[in-house]
Amino acid sequence: MAEYRLDCLGEACPVPLLKTQKKMAELQVGDILIVEVDHSCAMKNVPEWARKEGHNVEIEEIGEGEWDIYIEKAK
Amino acid sequence: MKLEKNKYFKAVVKEAWPYTVGAVLLALLNISLFIVTGSAWGISGTLLNWGSKIYKAVGGQLQNWVYYSDPARLRALETPFFSHGGSLMNLGIIVGAFMASLAASQFKIRKIKSVRQVIAAMLGGLLMGYGTRIAFGCNIGAFFSAVASFSLHGWVYAIFIFVGAWIGSKLLVKYFM
Amino acid sequence: MTEIVKKSTIEKEENAVETKTAVTNRAMVRPAKKRRNQLPLAFVVLLGVIFMAYYLAGKSAGLAISWLFGICFGVVLQKSRFCFTAAFRDPILTGSTSLTKAVIIAVAVATVGFGAVQYAAVSKGGAIAGSISPVGWHVAIGAVMFGIGMVIAGGCASGTLMRVGEGFVMQWLTLVFFVAGTVLGVRHWGFWERLFFDGASRVHLPSVLGWPLAITLQLAVLGILYIVADKWGNRNKG
Repeated sequence: MAEYRLDCLGEACPVPLLKTQKKMAELQVGDILIVEVDHSCAMKNVPEWARKEGHNVEIEEIGEGEWDIYIEKAK
Repeated sequence: MKLEKNKYFKAVVKEAWPYTVGAVLLALLNISLFIVTGSAWGISGTLLNWGSKIYKAVGGQLQNWVYYSDPARLRALETPFFSHGGSLMNLGIIVGAFMASLAASQFKIRKIKSVRQVIAAMLGGLLMGYGTRIAFGCNIGAFFSAVASFSLHGWVYAIFIFVGAWIGSKLLVKYFM
Repeated sequence: MTEIVKKSTIEKEENAVETKTAVTNRAMVRPAKKRRNQLPLAFVVLLGVIFMAYYLAGKSAGLAISWLFGICFGVVLQKSRFCFTAAFRDPILTGSTSLTKAVIIAVAVATVGFGAVQYAAVSKGGAIAGSISPVGWHVAIGAVMFGIGMVIAGGCASGTLMRVGEGFVMQWLTLVFFVAGTVLGVRHWGFWERLFFDGASRVHLPSVLGWPLAITLQLAVLGILYIVADKWGNRNKG
């Protein structure tokens, strides 16, 4: 079980989601990816995509308009 | 903070609304605007008004441009900012979004991260601005309001915006990521 | 070393599956930065908005109405993270169609409302209002340009204005160049006029097809598009 961080701060849509999709493909089942975003739309579309894929997702608000999205690869 | 824990405060102010709620509200607002003012929602026409005013203010001559051979169009540039409905509406969108992000404690100055973003913003902005003039509007005026007004140009716009988005996506993945 | 703590209390998500397998229970959680509560500032802005509406209403009611409509549009766009760009881009780029479906709903609801208003006006012998512009190849070219621009810049006109309000410096720059682009566009107006506009005419569908057919057809097409978008969105599921 490894943990990875993906820095998407300052990135506009759809870059955070595209980077997340790419990174998730490289991960093993059980690994956790933490995506750092400060784009208010990415905070909605990244979790939405990950949930649809069946991964476990949680969002933590880190600062004003800054979020960490935790995605655990489920399959 | 107690308010932050309140269920209704969280749903309305703190958290994002579902897209469908936004869709219905935007449609109702556009209909109301159409009923009250007689014109549908549009954004880019006003941006031309801003640009032409600035161009004139810095000494640009636009009275001999074909577009401004129409005296009504030239006269519209005389209207001061705070007496121009479209300008107030666009400013309102900025202030409304500012207020909503503050209410959720999510306002943050997001600085530009790279040169790539500067180029993307400049190129994207120019293409959009130019495009709105020959397509007679943006996603709002030439699509949302236009299709709702049963204008055929809205449907043509809808088909070709997909073509543009497809080309844009290719460019984005290749050069801007 | 930055302090990293294991998080024990987690905010429950509505999704039942997730409460059982909370990711943050197993992951190292960064301690949240000390967050400022910006709500009082929002109230200050709200006061400013009301004051402005009063001031404008003194000049003319129409100006205050425009201002308040703008505020409402801004709040709704920001709160629902509505993005016309994503609606057109995401089906192609990320496979998501949730915003595409939302936009179709918005257009369908607006169609009914606009139809009613236009029909009422026409029945009284009035003119047909709305965003009706000449159709032709210029629309296609402009839409393609706009489509490329919005994907690269990460937001269209409404999205750019909304993100200007959210504090995106990149979008401030986009707005400046958007404005410059419109001026450049009308600089070349004569060229496009000679090429396309002169021969183009406005086509109002109900005036050509009749009201019942035009409304039925438009809603049917939107319905079909919704189903296609739904299927497209679920295509990679599982």
